[in-house]
Amino acid sequence: MIELKNIEKYYANKGVKSYILRHVTTSIKQGEFISIMGPSGAGKSTLLNILGMLEEPTYGEYHFMGEDVTAMNERKRIELYRNHIGFVFQAYHLIDEMTVAENIEAPLLYKKIPGAERKSRIADVLDRFNMVAKKDLFPNQLSGGQQQLVGIARALVAQPSIILADEPTGNLQSAQAEQIMDLFKKLNEEEGITILQVTHSEKNAQYGNRILTIEDGVIKEDVSVNN
Amino acid sequence: MFKLNLKIALRNLWKNKGFSLINIGGLAIGLASCMILLIYVAYEWSYDKQFKNSDKTYVVYQNLVASGKTFSWPWTPNVMANEVQEKIPGVKYASHSTYPRPNLITVGENRLSAKVVFTDPNFLKILDYKFIKGNSNQVLKDINSIILTKSFAEKLFGNEDPMNKTVKLENQDVLKVSAVIEDAPANSSIVFECLMPWTLFEKREPWVKESNWGNNMCLTLVQLRDNNLFSSANAAMEGIYKRNSKDNVAVALLHPLTKWHLYSDFENGKSVGGKIDQLKIFLLLAFCILLIACVNFMNLSTARSERRAKEVGVRKAIGSTRKSLINQFFLESILITFISTVLAFILVEISLPYFNNLLNIKLTIDYTNSGFWIALFSLMIFTGFVAGSYPALYLSSFEPIKVLKGLKIKTDSSVSVRKVLVIGQFVFAACLIICTAVIYQQLNYVKNKPIGYNQANLMQIAVEGKMHDSSKLELLKTQLLKSGAATHVTSFSSDVTEGGNNTTNIEWEGKNPKELISFNHRAIGNDFIETMGTELMSGRALSSQLKNDTNNVMLNEAAVKMMGLKWPIGATITFWGNKMTNVGVVKDFVVESAYQKVAPMIFYIDNHSDASVMLVRLNPDQNISSSLAQIDEIVKGIEPNYPVNRKFVNESFEVKFQDEKLLGTLSNWFGGFAIFISCLGLLGLALYMAEQRKKEISIRKVLGATTGNILTLLNKEFIKLVAIANLIAFPLAYIIINKWLSTFEYRISISFLPFALAISVSIVIAVLTVSMQLIKVAKANPIDALKYE
Repeated sequence: MIELKNIEKYYANKGVKSYILRHVTTSIKQGEFISIMGPSGAGKSTLLNILGMLEEPTYGEYHFMGEDVTAMNERKRIELYRNHIGFVFQAYHLIDEMTVAENIEAPLLYKKIPGAERKSRIADVLDRFNMVAKKDLFPNQLSGGQQQLVGIARALVAQPSIILADEPTGNLQSAQAEQIMDLFKKLNEEEGITILQVTHSEKNAQYGNRILTIEDGVIKEDVSVNN
Repeated sequence: MFKLNLKIALRNLWKNKGFSLINIGGLAIGLASCMILLIYVAYEWSYDKQFKNSDKTYVVYQNLVASGKTFSWPWTPNVMANEVQEKIPGVKYASHSTYPRPNLITVGENRLSAKVVFTDPNFLKILDYKFIKGNSNQVLKDINSIILTKSFAEKLFGNEDPMNKTVKLENQDVLKVSAVIEDAPANSSIVFECLMPWTLFEKREPWVKESNWGNNMCLTLVQLRDNNLFSSANAAMEGIYKRNSKDNVAVALLHPLTKWHLYSDFENGKSVGGKIDQLKIFLLLAFCILLIACVNFMNLSTARSERRAKEVGVRKAIGSTRKSLINQFFLESILITFISTVLAFILVEISLPYFNNLLNIKLTIDYTNSGFWIALFSLMIFTGFVAGSYPALYLSSFEPIKVLKGLKIKTDSSVSVRKVLVIGQFVFAACLIICTAVIYQQLNYVKNKPIGYNQANLMQIAVEGKMHDSSKLELLKTQLLKSGAATHVTSFSSDVTEGGNNTTNIEWEGKNPKELISFNHRAIGNDFIETMGTELMSGRALSSQLKNDTNNVMLNEAAVKMMGLKWPIGATITFWGNKMTNVGVVKDFVVESAYQKVAPMIFYIDNHSDASVMLVRLNPDQNISSSLAQIDEIVKGIEPNYPVNRKFVNESFEVKFQDEKLLGTLSNWFGGFAIFISCLGLLGLALYMAEQRKKEISIRKVLGATTGNILTLLNKEFIKLVAIANLIAFPLAYIIINKWLSTFEYRISISFLPFALAISVSIVIAVLTVSMQLIKVAKANPIDALKYE
């Protein structure tokens, strides 16, 4: 599904290159649940952003479903990730001015999905996440865990093939975190959605079936997890 | 998507009420100012354009060189129209008509002074007034007929049908109402209340019948078959005086009716503009005010970018293109513009009556006019797009990853753009302050300039009806003096606040025979000097008691200077062919424009009942209202058939300043608005700064800075901006105001005062605005800002 070849990312400052990522080469297959681990500043988030096409690598090749992303124009790239990628952020990043239902609806609007189908999909997702009663509330009226659920619901409603989650539980208490991780696992196992998460927590990493460890921009370890 | 965006926009507005209020209020004031100015400009612009063929209609002007200057007037001889109709190629109709003048019209006991125009049937073919009753082809042919305007007909007859009823003109002629027409629009150059046939005019004033190319006494209107024929027709017009009267040096030309009002200034016989210049200023002002209101909007919107940044980032991350974000922000700005427009409308409707009162005009919004709605709609869209352009492009350019990572958005460029915008606003505001101050100074200067006579307590009474009889006039004078209402009374042959009779037919020893010099000539009564409150510089005053004085004249100082008389007293002057002796020199006093030098004037004693006004110096020891009551009673006793027509000289004199006053008032008001809106813009920038520098301020406070230190620090920057704006504004304003001043013969020299005023006012206002906003931040607990880092 995803092929990375020799991905490099650096910032040049007064002729000195400071590397964030070096020689990252890996492939991700459909249906995997991968956790990216490593110390702060190792380049985990940058890698995730490059995968999510929010950032461009300075060098290297990135193939997403057989297509060369680095050679694509912006319109095409937006088209691609609109249809295949869902984001979940550590700080949830819901739009404060929108209600729960509207937040979930937003990506469908950008995909130009007709009204009737939008309604049924939103209803479906709300139902699945037990949030029907909260659909008209605004984000600031919800707890952190609930907000993150909305964040995941928003990522899911567009029916992506891959979810990219940047420390999804970083701002949550452990009970809530556990709930979110269970949800991810369920999605991965039951619906076959590929999940890629950045995490600090050894425990959360165990929910996946593969762990990539990055240190100083280089992949140090790539191990499978058996659970 | 549209619906959701709209909903979010409304929620945003509601959530930030204060901000929305500033934003919408600023834009509404800007839009309202712009709308009022545009309505005014449209009103002036559409002068005389209401007629179907107004574009093919021309006014005949004559150019006459006198005293080395070319004078251009729309006054032509009575025989002009016929000659033009018959001899000039391409002319469809030509008509002669009098200028509107007051005449007494009576129906039963109902006496009214009406503006009357005497004219021929062609007049109504050239200007297609709408007929409510009567046939346009049959009118003005019968000598004893009259056409009434609708409002005047109502004044005379109430709700009765006026057709075929009779009215009396000056208690002499009985006229039958032959038609009723719509009122002449307020913005037309010829405003009248009734039309009467030219033949009636000839009957009443027999001298009108004489064909005389030297007597310019009426207005000639010409309609061409086609505008292509203009240049040939105009060329044929040029020599028309010379062809008909060998010695006549006047030159005729055609001036378009549609330009009559706006392009009325002539120089060397060519139209050089006029009111159009003022109109252009107002148009520019309208545009600039709208622009600074838009700039305001941009400033305030981008100032909140921090808060909107996250939304942009998230939207982009979940699949929004930049285009759809731009659309969203444009939608928001158009929504705000729409709300502002509605508010502006209310403001305009509320302020129009006041504005009309102030300018003495009748502006209305014509809601049935489709042009108005189109103009309004395009104004709204234009404003929405201009105001929304920068925020839309700026906000939509945020890179999602930077925003979502919580990195500070690079703000250098946006701050400098915003600084430039604020400087622009203040340049405009400072220019307006300077210009307004200079206009005010100039107006004051001219108003307070000695005019050569004492205006206070001086009244003029129009001489009408029986008062034209010199014995009645004498009786009136005696009675006024006896009653104690007046201390001095005299007569004068024209309105003392207006120009009037002049002649070039004056000879004296040493005159260059080739040069034409124009003299004002006035017939005066006894006690002229005392009544006017002017001074006799040398010699003595004329008096009808002295038999010889019918052969004597007085001159004013300007005349003495122009004639180069060393010994003015006793000099012999040939006036209209009669040898006269000058016995006195009168101090110059202003009768025409207070902005121009006083023209030469010659006075002679009134012995042919030439008086058109009685000048009355009121008794200062008596209560004015009782004096007025006495005067009314005395005048009524002598001429009961006319309403008493009296006015204070200083009031009519004020009218001379109307144009400049209008300019002053408008620039005052709209300058004030501009400054207010600019301050809102500054407030926006201060808001932004406060948000941006919250952390810096907190750190400084932790390090020991006082609130005062911080306010100084923050204000310094704004003072710098305003100072730069002033420096740019100074030369700009100097050029503009110097150009305006140069049109006046008497003018002030530009002092540093207006400039000092501009810079101090703008800085004080800026500091107040900024401090009001920043004091909150400066006083806030530093921990609040630092805790979240």
